[in-house]
Amino acid sequence: MRISDDVEILDGMPVLYIKSLSIIVCTDLHLGYEGVTADKGTFLPKANLRHIKETIKRAVELKRPKGIIVDGDIKNEFSQVHVEEFNETHEFVNFLRNEMGLESIILIKGNHDNYIERLKEPFRMQLYTQEALMDDYLFFHGEELPSSKEGKMLIMGHVHPSIAIYNKLGVKEKLKCFLKGKLKDGRDILILPAMNYFAEGFSVNMEKGIGDLAPIFRKMLDVDSMEALCIGEDEILDFGSVGQLRNIEL
Amino acid sequence: MIQYLEKPFSVEESLESLNLFLRKWFEKKYKVPTPPQRYSFKLVSEKKNVLITAPTGSGKTFSAFMSILSDLMNLSLANKLEDKVYCVYVSPLRALNNDIYRNLNVPLDQVFSDITIPIKKITVGIRTGDTPQSERQKMLKKPPNILVTTPESLAILINSQKFVENMKDLKYLVIDELHELANNKRGVHLSLSVERLREIVGHDFTRVGMGATLSPLDEAAKYLVGYDGEKERDCYIVDATWDKKLDFLAMSPVKDIVNSSDKAIDNSIYKIINSVIKKNRTTLVFTNTRSGTERVVYNLMRRFKYGEEHIAAHHGSLSRETRLGVEDMLKKGKLKVAVSSTSLELGIDIGTIDNVVQIGSPKSVARAVQRIGRSGHSFNDVARGEVIVTNRDDLVECSIMLDAARKRHLDTFTTPKNALDVLSQHIVGMSQTKKWSVDEAFGVIKNSYAYHNLPRSDFISLLEYLSGMYVGLESRRVYAKIWYDEKEGMFGRRGKLTKLIYFLNLGTIPDEVAIDVMTPDNKWQGSIEEEFLSRLKPGDVFVLGGKTYSFNYARVMKAYVTPAPGQVPTIPPWYSEQLPLTYELAVEIGRFREQMAIALGHAREHGKKMLTMLDRSKLKPNEESRKLLDSLPVDENAKMAIFNYFAMQVLYAGYIPTDKMLLIEKTEDKEGERNLLIFHSLYGRRINDALSRAFAITLGEMLETDIAVNITDNGFVLVTEQDATVSRKDVDMLVSEVGRSNMRQVLMRNIRRTEMMRRRFRYNAARSFMILRNYKGRKISVRKQQINSQLIFKAAEEISSDFPIIKETYREIFDDVMDLPRAERIVRGLISGEIGYKLIETDVPSPFSHLIVTFGEADVIMMKDRRKHIRDLHKQVLAKLNRMMK
Repeated sequence: MRISDDVEILDGMPVLYIKSLSIIVCTDLHLGYEGVTADKGTFLPKANLRHIKETIKRAVELKRPKGIIVDGDIKNEFSQVHVEEFNETHEFVNFLRNEMGLESIILIKGNHDNYIERLKEPFRMQLYTQEALMDDYLFFHGEELPSSKEGKMLIMGHVHPSIAIYNKLGVKEKLKCFLKGKLKDGRDILILPAMNYFAEGFSVNMEKGIGDLAPIFRKMLDVDSMEALCIGEDEILDFGSVGQLRNIEL
Repeated sequence: MIQYLEKPFSVEESLESLNLFLRKWFEKKYKVPTPPQRYSFKLVSEKKNVLITAPTGSGKTFSAFMSILSDLMNLSLANKLEDKVYCVYVSPLRALNNDIYRNLNVPLDQVFSDITIPIKKITVGIRTGDTPQSERQKMLKKPPNILVTTPESLAILINSQKFVENMKDLKYLVIDELHELANNKRGVHLSLSVERLREIVGHDFTRVGMGATLSPLDEAAKYLVGYDGEKERDCYIVDATWDKKLDFLAMSPVKDIVNSSDKAIDNSIYKIINSVIKKNRTTLVFTNTRSGTERVVYNLMRRFKYGEEHIAAHHGSLSRETRLGVEDMLKKGKLKVAVSSTSLELGIDIGTIDNVVQIGSPKSVARAVQRIGRSGHSFNDVARGEVIVTNRDDLVECSIMLDAARKRHLDTFTTPKNALDVLSQHIVGMSQTKKWSVDEAFGVIKNSYAYHNLPRSDFISLLEYLSGMYVGLESRRVYAKIWYDEKEGMFGRRGKLTKLIYFLNLGTIPDEVAIDVMTPDNKWQGSIEEEFLSRLKPGDVFVLGGKTYSFNYARVMKAYVTPAPGQVPTIPPWYSEQLPLTYELAVEIGRFREQMAIALGHAREHGKKMLTMLDRSKLKPNEESRKLLDSLPVDENAKMAIFNYFAMQVLYAGYIPTDKMLLIEKTEDKEGERNLLIFHSLYGRRINDALSRAFAITLGEMLETDIAVNITDNGFVLVTEQDATVSRKDVDMLVSEVGRSNMRQVLMRNIRRTEMMRRRFRYNAARSFMILRNYKGRKISVRKQQINSQLIFKAAEEISSDFPIIKETYREIFDDVMDLPRAERIVRGLISGEIGYKLIETDVPSPFSHLIVTFGEADVIMMKDRRKHIRDLHKQVLAKLNRMMK
């Protein structure tokens, strides 16, 4: 689905493509997730990295970009670099560079990315600890407000947006979605869904307290005015505004 | 060989087998042995395995223990009694353990105080989850001769290297309340512990099983004794259940249970309970759910001014202190009435109960017999009980149930076989104690009745799973719970943490996620199950603790609601704690329906005229139906209510469904928004669970639509959206299509997408130690484990569709939750014509279908593929938004 002449959401994927920068953008991978949960007593079968690799491969084959931006939370654990995270990040970066042939690997630091600096050198990643302005685009993770007033379009992650709808038979359906909207100052903003396999997402049209999750919703942005672009099997479907999806009964 | 004993030994033969001191004490106290004791004293003294079923008050405890005490007395007198465990007693209830402890110490204290020569006293000790650490340490140094414990504590003890040394001379194993264990995973868990214990001590021991009645008894005996290699161990069966006389009656609170208001029915129910309470010194009331128990206590207090000194609730959600307090007051005869869901149905000592009142159907003949059997003090007393029904289907069900009890027709149980989750736990436990060869361990496991036919490949797949072979080599350090060498065929311990994983996570009772229900002012109203929450949508009205609430929204583990007094619930109460109706009883009800159908056959011809008579309650039963009704153990109100109910059905719908004639009713819901296809298949929920889904999947495939199902004991409904209507031809095609297909395969195709699968998978993942409750000394709340089960399931499926936890989930669903073999038999009957079916169309649901439509367990069968599914959802949302714009 095209967002502008330059920006496109890839069909059926939580991935953005920006032509002028020749990059794909994704967010909230939370690599090492299973290893970290295993350490806490839940021994999940490994699925996250494999699914992420499959998706990236599809995106790269489709668009042949030169680089990738991870818009925060490449890894999962707050307090340290877990051994499983190290292993998976290592495997992922090798995959991007060697198998996918991506020249630049850019990471915007997220709230889960503490100590990620240690991985910067050995993995040869570009790292932005706060935000990154590239031409018209301002990339930031979202747990804090962006400081730059520049950039025509802001690109954010962090909230794992999804929408939840009760179908006619009374079953709750949850769909991961992109959120597209405008800040009060007139700039465009696009929020990306989480790429993590196990993250179902935060239902923006049902749950309350998104302002506690991301400060941008306190004064600069009204979530109800945003458009929910949901990820289908091999397409992106526009479900209309979040506000309209509140209390919708089919 | 399993052998039934029909003739008791003589009193003299029985007493002769006892040690002299013990015999003197026994004769002084009880004079003669009770019927079960006249079998067991001699058999146990001859070290025979015995299964004893008998009602409360029949001296069951001493049936098992007198000969054991006698043997230990002899040892003591010969100065050979050492500080060792000679007897292990296991019961599923801690409360029962405390009773047994007391009851054994009474004779011991008295007998030993009579003996003047200095001899060693027989000691009894309790070991449960409640036992403090200091006690455990003491027990290790000076073990009791008789160890009283629970299945879970036994599983811990057999993994304690030091403690098992104390059990090497074990002579007896007593399993109490066997009927509560033989039919579930907790019992399966115990059976493996027992065979492991047998392997550890290196010799056979005498096994004594006790319990209320269950059927078939020889299967229960096999569960108790297990196998020795290929050979089934010997066991004698003593069935003294029916030696206590039962006197019971099913009562309808009102004459016309169909047309009376809920309020009138409620008023009358409480009046009846109160009149029973007034007539007796102590009354025990059983309900079927914990919330029901609370409601009854609340109402009796409010309506008849009973105070807390007269009445008390007793159920599993109450604290241990509260429960002990209630038991104590009962024993002292202080309470007028106690209300319980299931907790007082087991053999805890609660003193004398004069009368039992059961509210609503207990769903099984055996349970009805057992509950009513709680009344009457001694074996010679008559046990008295009233069963008060709460609705029309309940009425018929209870009447037939009591009739079956009178005829001693019992429902049957089955033991879950080859449960892989439970076995996972024991493999981890076994690996801690020594290095095993795969063959040797497999042999021990196969000695359990629950695993005698375990395929070796399943065992191997568990070893692979537990040794972490489902993740890469570099992650096994964290994932592996055992060491396993495929080539050598050996397995054993791995990792320092595993020992604690076993101790802190073993057991089979799943953690339920309780969601707190709060009003806007943040006041706690009660709790609901997570699964119930997942079915609530904003605006839904539901009942909690007798009050109605309207649901607003949920956040984390809280559901926010507004009180909605007087509003009609829009969503049925959650019945997951209610047990399914047993198949045998269902079939008996089906037969009764058939007899009534024949008796009322002529009514159809008089249609309208009779309907008006019925309305004015002037219609009287004809001779044939009168005779039938009189044959039931029910009061006059109940007879008339049954008659009215059946007459209304036949006059309205023209047909009464039976076990040989399946009525399929096509109708609409109140608003005409959804199509209902009601199957009056009275076979019990376990069978209907399978049938409904097979029919729903097949119909869903025919119409390419999603279908909601509602499942009850008496039938099921398939609900389709307005535009997906079902024609008469569709129904014929549907039946023949279901009949032609392989039901297991049909269900396999779809069940992975259902709510039930997700829930069961999570339980099994927890029991298989994939999701731990307690790790590295930290308790992990269920909330923290809340990663979407469906995603975990999908991830596991990508490893292999034969992944042990997935395999076990299917097994549990098909064998335990559902009764697939019987469901298949019914479908075959439909095809062969042995069971007929009839399609009728009605404007509104017929009388027999009201409860099928409004109660029961709901699920949705998703037929559309995901792509179409999301697209349809999208289309519907846009259409809705468009409508809203206009």
